Formats: sequence, structure tokens, C-alpha cells
Amino acid sequence: MKYSKYLAVLVLFIVAAALPNYLGLYQLQIMNFVFVYIAFALSWDMLLRSGQLSFGIAGFAGIGGYTSVLCGYNFALSPILCILIGSAVAGIVALFVGSQVLKLRGLYFSIVTLAIGEIFRVIVRNLEVTGAAEGILLPNAIFMGNATKTYWLMFAIATFTIIISILFQKTRIYYALTSISNDEIVAASSGVNIFKYLVIIFVVTSAIQGMAGAAYWQIYASVTPEGAFNLGFALLPITMALFGGVGTTWGPVIGSAILSVTAEYLKLQFPHGHLLVYGFIMVAAILWFPSGIMGVFKQFTAKFNT
Amino acid sequence: MLEVKKLNVFYGKLQILWDLSMQVGNESVGIFGPNGAGKTTLIHAILGLVKPATGEIILEGESLLAMETDHIIKQGISIVPQDRELFPFMTVAENLRTGNAYIPRARKKYKERLEYVLTMFPILKERLDQPAGSMSGGQQRMVAIGRALMADPKVLILDEPSGGLQPSIVTEVFHRLKEIKNDVSILVTEQNVRQCLKAIDRGYILENGRIAMADTAANLAGNDHIRKSYLGI
Repeated sequence: MKYSKYLAVLVLFIVAAALPNYLGLYQLQIMNFVFVYIAFALSWDMLLRSGQLSFGIAGFAGIGGYTSVLCGYNFALSPILCILIGSAVAGIVALFVGSQVLKLRGLYFSIVTLAIGEIFRVIVRNLEVTGAAEGILLPNAIFMGNATKTYWLMFAIATFTIIISILFQKTRIYYALTSISNDEIVAASSGVNIFKYLVIIFVVTSAIQGMAGAAYWQIYASVTPEGAFNLGFALLPITMALFGGVGTTWGPVIGSAILSVTAEYLKLQFPHGHLLVYGFIMVAAILWFPSGIMGVFKQFTAKFNT
Repeated sequence: MLEVKKLNVFYGKLQILWDLSMQVGNESVGIFGPNGAGKTTLIHAILGLVKPATGEIILEGESLLAMETDHIIKQGISIVPQDRELFPFMTVAENLRTGNAYIPRARKKYKERLEYVLTMFPILKERLDQPAGSMSGGQQRMVAIGRALMADPKVLILDEPSGGLQPSIVTEVFHRLKEIKNDVSILVTEQNVRQCLKAIDRGYILENGRIAMADTAANLAGNDHIRKSYLGI
């Protein structure tokens, strides 16, 4: 049983690695969505494990996207380097915001994260250097638009996020974050520096979101204020994580995979109503299986074992 | 070891502790008093969860007043909280680790500390991989005490360790405290005065936020006021 889990993960990775040989351009594009949403949903969930509800995904993805495209546009740096810089800038913004707001936590924190995207959207919309309302167009997409290579890039970012999530669940940080979300007094009484750990996890998850956003907009070779800071980037990954099951590594991964593909299908079927259907899925998930697919799966295996 | 000097603590305008002074040396000390006397407030003040208006709290010559809670814990004070004590879905081993993982001084001695805790509470040895929430109340209390001991404390604070436990377990817990006191200074608040007095060296009676009496455990047990008010004799 212990090894079958590792075997399943190995098979999954081999299948994912082999996919570009069998998929067409459109399917590969959908896979890119799957991977970018895995990075968003899983990083969001990692922060949630500390009890902090963030709506900042759109903000940090947008910051990462804008930074990386600006780097490419102004300094003609290599796209990969631009993505890393985008990730770092998102992390630095998170460090600044987190060190100011994480003393308050809870609702105050959530509201501020919601505001980050809006603030930056207004800023880039009004600055000439960021291309104002029109945004910026890069001369070339990353890897000259090579679908297989972009697939590999997004696959690498999703895998990186999964590895970070697993690492965090096996180290001291896990106990610290879990105890903070359980009871801050008990956490502090165990010697946990609550503020420090919250800032660390906020910076790490924001940097991941910045990285995924940066890669995403490098693929499109352009950014616009409304596109990059679209609130959908904050809400869709949350739906996916809830659908898959929060508090686990594989829940948000499974949720992102299923819902990204479903979303594409819905877009084809109901071009103007797909978000409505999405809303129904979110409500249904919260009502009938609040612990998500992973929760249902765990209940099932527990029953099966007894 | 731990010294509290002329402590005044307020919640808003309401004064909870009045000029409270007490010490814990290499011994076990009990704090008794009715509900609302200020026992938990005193513990919270020592842990830095409440900031006193005036007074001083000193551990081995160093003032704890300006420190954050996690820093105070790292200085060598451990707490077994009253009710919310364990992470129920984590295993016993993981719970014990949380007591140790954030204190660099103790982390280096992880194996040594674990061995100490498991010799103190042998029953935990067989249950290391069991979720803490699936254990009985008495065993959970032992895990909670074990977790606090994992931090290699200089002073172990227990807030009502007998609360909610069946009498036989209470006896067991106090029996263990008697052994632990040989290695660590103990500060314990307790409603179960009769049992506790048998396990400790000295005691303070706290009434309305003031120290009403301070004496050895034997003298307190023989005192008429204590016998009437706390022991029901």
C-alpha cells in the first residue's frame, strides 16, 4: 500500500511527460491551463493551511506577469530569466504587504489581498511605462511559441509547486502552520514565531503565483490590465482547490485538472454562461462534499479498509 | 529561577492582579484560588499573552516582560494549557515533536528528550503512531505534559492538570509531577487542592488577584482557613 502511492505518482508523471507526443496544439494549450491552475490552486491552499484566506492570486499573478513582460520588452532579457524576476518581484511585494498586514490576520488580511490586484490594476492602467490601458505586446512568445516547450515549462512549474507543497508538509513549517490555524495561543506556547512563519508562507506562495502568472503571460507574449489582474484568476483556483479538497497536496491538483478541462468544455458548450455553471459547481461542492474529492476518497478508502 | 515582582495586570480598566509577587525555585509550587482569582491571568502574564501594567517577571536574572510569547518559550518556560492542548489529528509522535521543533536548544536533544518523556509515560511508547485525538482524556493529558517536557524547560507550568479527568488518573498525573519535579521546576494551578498539596513543595493562595497566603504544602494542608475553604473539611 505504501509503495503503491509512490508508484501511482510515478505513473502520473510519466504519463504527463509523455503527453506532448500524443496531444494536438489545442489539447496542449488546455494542459497549460491545467498546470497554471495547479500552481495557483495549490499555492493558495498552502497558505490556507495556516488559516489565512487569500484573494491575492490575481494580484500576484498579475504582478509576475507584468514584471516578466516588462523585463522582456525593455531589456530583452531571456524569457526564463524574466519569469524568475517576475516571481521575485511578486515575492517582494508579498514580503512588504505581509509584514504590514499579517499582524492583523483573518478578515483584514483577506480584504487587503483582494485589494492588491485592484491597486496594481489601477496603477498599470494609468502609467505609460506599463502601456496604460492597452498593455504591452512582446515581439515574440516564449520559445517562439513552441507548444511542446511551453508545455514542459508549465509542467515544470506545476511540479515545482507540488514538490514545495510536499516539502512543506514534511518539515517544521507544517507543524507551525497547522498549529497556527488550530490555535494561535497553543502555537505561540510551543515556541512558534507565528508572524515569521506566516510571512514566510505568504512570500513563498505569492512568489509561486507570480512565477505561474509570469509564465502564463509569456506564453501569450502580452499583458493587459484587465487580463493580468482578472479576478477570475483569484476565484477559479479557489473553486478548484475546494472541489479537489483543501489541506492536501493532491486535492487542489486533482481539482485543477478536472475543473480546467471542464471549464474548456463548458466554454465551447456555453460561451457566455460557463462561469454560471462554474458557480453551481462551487455551491454544489460546498454543500454536498465540503471536504472535496480527496475527502470523499478518504472516506471511501476508510470504509473499504474496515 | 522564576520570579514575579509586584505585578499589576488590567483588562481594560478592571484590575485583575494586585501587586502580586511570587517565586519558583528548584521546587514545585502550587497556586490555588477560586474561579476568577487570577490564576490563568498570572500564567498568561508570565507567557507574555497579557502585558502587565507594572511589575517585573524574571527568569534566571533575565526580564521576560519585553519578549514575545515564542521568545519566552525559547527561554525555557513550557506550558500545559488547560483544555485546548493537542492537535487531535496528528499522531502522538508528531504532537511530541511540536513541543520540540521550534526551540533550537531542545531540538538538538530530540532523542534524549523523547526518551525522557517515554520513560516518564511508558504508555505513550506503544501509541506513538496513533492519532492523539483517539486516545482517552488521561492519555491525552500525558501527551500534553510530554509535549511541554520535549521543550527541555527550566520551568514547567501546568494550568489545572487534573481538570476533567477521572480520580484514578488524577492520582497518576500528580504522581508523575512528583517525579518530574526532580528535573524541572514546576508551577501548577489547581482546583483539586487536596491532591495537589500532596505532590508539591509550596503553595500560594490567590484571592481576588492578591496573594492571600504563602506557605509550605504541609502547613497549608493543616491551615484551618484552607481546610474549610478549599478542602471542605
